[in-house]
Amino acid sequence: MDKNRVSADQLALMYLLIIAGGKFLSLPSILAADVGHDSWLAMCFSFLWDGVCLAFLLWAIKLNSKANMDMSAILDKSVTKVVTKIILLIFFVIFALRTNILLTSCYHMFSVTFDVSTNWIVYVLPVAAVGFFVIQKGFNALARASQLFFGLILIAVIALLVSPLMEVEFSELLPIGEAGWGKILETSFTRSFWFSDYLFMFFVMDGIKVKKHVYAPVFIAFGVGVVLTVLLNAVFVALFGSYAPSFDMAMSKIGVFSAASTLNGRWDWLTLSIWLISVFIKIVTFIYCEYKCLEKLIDKNFANVNWVLAIIITLTLMLPMLVSTETLLSTVIAWGLIPFTVVQYLLPLLMPLFTKVALNKTEVKHE
Amino acid sequence: MSNIKRTAIVIVALVLIAVVMVSFKGSDVLDRAIILGIGIDKGDSGVTLTAEIVSPGNGQEQVGTFSKTVTVDGATVGEAIQNIAEKTGKEASLGQCVVLILGQELYETVDFTAITDYFINHHSFKESAVMCCCEGKAEELFNNSDALSQSVALSVAAMLLDEADKIGIMSNSLLQFARSQTELEKTGFLNKIKFTPSENKDAQDPDKTQGFFSYRELAVFRQNTFVCDLNEDEVKGLSMFLKDTEGETFVSDSSGLKLTVQVNSKDIEQKINGDEVDISITLSVRLARTDSDEVTGAITAKKDKEIDGKMLDDVQKQATELAELYLKKQAEYNFDLIKLHEMSRQKNGSSRELAEKPTSDFIVKLKIEVKEN
Repeated sequence: MDKNRVSADQLALMYLLIIAGGKFLSLPSILAADVGHDSWLAMCFSFLWDGVCLAFLLWAIKLNSKANMDMSAILDKSVTKVVTKIILLIFFVIFALRTNILLTSCYHMFSVTFDVSTNWIVYVLPVAAVGFFVIQKGFNALARASQLFFGLILIAVIALLVSPLMEVEFSELLPIGEAGWGKILETSFTRSFWFSDYLFMFFVMDGIKVKKHVYAPVFIAFGVGVVLTVLLNAVFVALFGSYAPSFDMAMSKIGVFSAASTLNGRWDWLTLSIWLISVFIKIVTFIYCEYKCLEKLIDKNFANVNWVLAIIITLTLMLPMLVSTETLLSTVIAWGLIPFTVVQYLLPLLMPLFTKVALNKTEVKHE
Repeated sequence: MSNIKRTAIVIVALVLIAVVMVSFKGSDVLDRAIILGIGIDKGDSGVTLTAEIVSPGNGQEQVGTFSKTVTVDGATVGEAIQNIAEKTGKEASLGQCVVLILGQELYETVDFTAITDYFINHHSFKESAVMCCCEGKAEELFNNSDALSQSVALSVAAMLLDEADKIGIMSNSLLQFARSQTELEKTGFLNKIKFTPSENKDAQDPDKTQGFFSYRELAVFRQNTFVCDLNEDEVKGLSMFLKDTEGETFVSDSSGLKLTVQVNSKDIEQKINGDEVDISITLSVRLARTDSDEVTGAITAKKDKEIDGKMLDDVQKQATELAELYLKKQAEYNFDLIKLHEMSRQKNGSSRELAEKPTSDFIVKLKIEVKEN
């Protein structure tokens, strides 16, 4: 159990890295295609729902701080085992899809930005190996690695963001709400799959050391993550205008506008490489969550990495060899919108209630 | 764990590492022709592409030459770039390209949408690269590196990126130009580069061509098709409306002396109400000097007054005339480089009517004030 324990501060840093880790790849171009220069508003709305759900989830984590029950134990006691399994299955699908989409974006970036090409299997296997190493060593190992890289990654993100700021005419974002508020809200909902980065907390809620404060560090991290992400998105759409939907790797394109890069080499490649660490931290976190989902689905808690589960997860990482990311986005994610929304938004809102019910049942049992 | 098991794990790990390393195929820098600049002319089969290339030596090549130019033909830009590999024996690498220059015959007679689209959609080509056009052939322009004693691509890029906005000349990146050709009224400009030969007084090397690039004129385009040229005065008039350019100069008589006054900073206020646009420009000027102490910029030390009221009036009159000259040309040829359509969009949103609205429909009320900085 100890190897999976993390402090509230570590949780906050990881959360910030996870927010920044995946939203600077293909999401800005997808949002730009939907609502043009108002995409930053769609992002703001999505983060607003995230903030509300995060507050409820942290409330549940605080309630659970003494009992330290894991998510499936709480759900088992409050909504029956069958419902728990369904929820875990949906979680597994979400994490598997997100992992694959992130891996595909990074693969694409390596290929076109760094001119490094490989085959999918050889690219994915080392990533999976790191994931299983983390599972073996415990979530704390990942949290400590995140602490180690946090400063560097934050500096890289800020460096990538600050230079293009000089080039941007923010008046291009006017008039605000041109795409129509209904359309903006609809986009915020239909693209919700890319948000709710707090989901990983469900799988470490039995290991979070809650002392005095849990809300403050996590919400500060959330605030910083939101500001960086929304600002970067605004810079991207203001800079690229009608071309924004065509550029599916926002961070790599924004980096090109680093003030010193055009005549003095590719400074952007250095900062981009450092920022990519956060994407891989996010991918490994998702692999960890996938593994935990499978463990709970079969009601086991393995001391070491179980190779059958590891093989299943590795096989899910081969999905992009069979189905393109575009197909995944247009079919699976579109069809799964409602069940995903239940897990992403309804579950966190109900989690304090479920935790209280589970705690009451546990107390009654002890009595 | 037994020794055999440990050894087996180490061997398996080493094999896996070897497989992974071998499978990640990067492109060796020695196998790449790194392109610094591209010039495109109209060719017999489609386009003639001239690339200024840095080709790292591998022991068999001559070392010491900074760059060389390679000219190839192709039905399309893509095909021409492929043909570079055939001529150099190396893969063409566009990631370091800083300038894209269109030759005169090409930009004046051809719709070059396919060229703009090719580069803007190219994954490696930087959207921040400078795009411009030139008098005559781009191929000839790129073959002037001896006259300049330095890379043509880097010289042009440095001129347009670092120097232009300090001497009252605007410049465009590929992205800015591509956007200007596809958004709203779909008009934009490219700097027009001219090579001007100068007299060679070098007794050591009397046959060597010497010269410099000038770029005080612009060419205007609509949807990647040539519209008209802007001469030096019209460019100067246009720069009055752009807050990012400064350093424009005016000559005024004072006490029998001809003195040069330079714009140090600008304050531009624009208001749009229907078709009426109020543009109020305040130019902060000072006497032009060549000292480094007198470099342009808003944050400079305040000096005692040196410019009298008559000189300020002179500058105001000249600036107004130049700005009106530009506005007249803009209305005549129906283009919009001062973004009147964009102002309207920012207030009222996009519409087909706005995109199709002739620039002459906007009534510009211009007010220019000049003060000493």
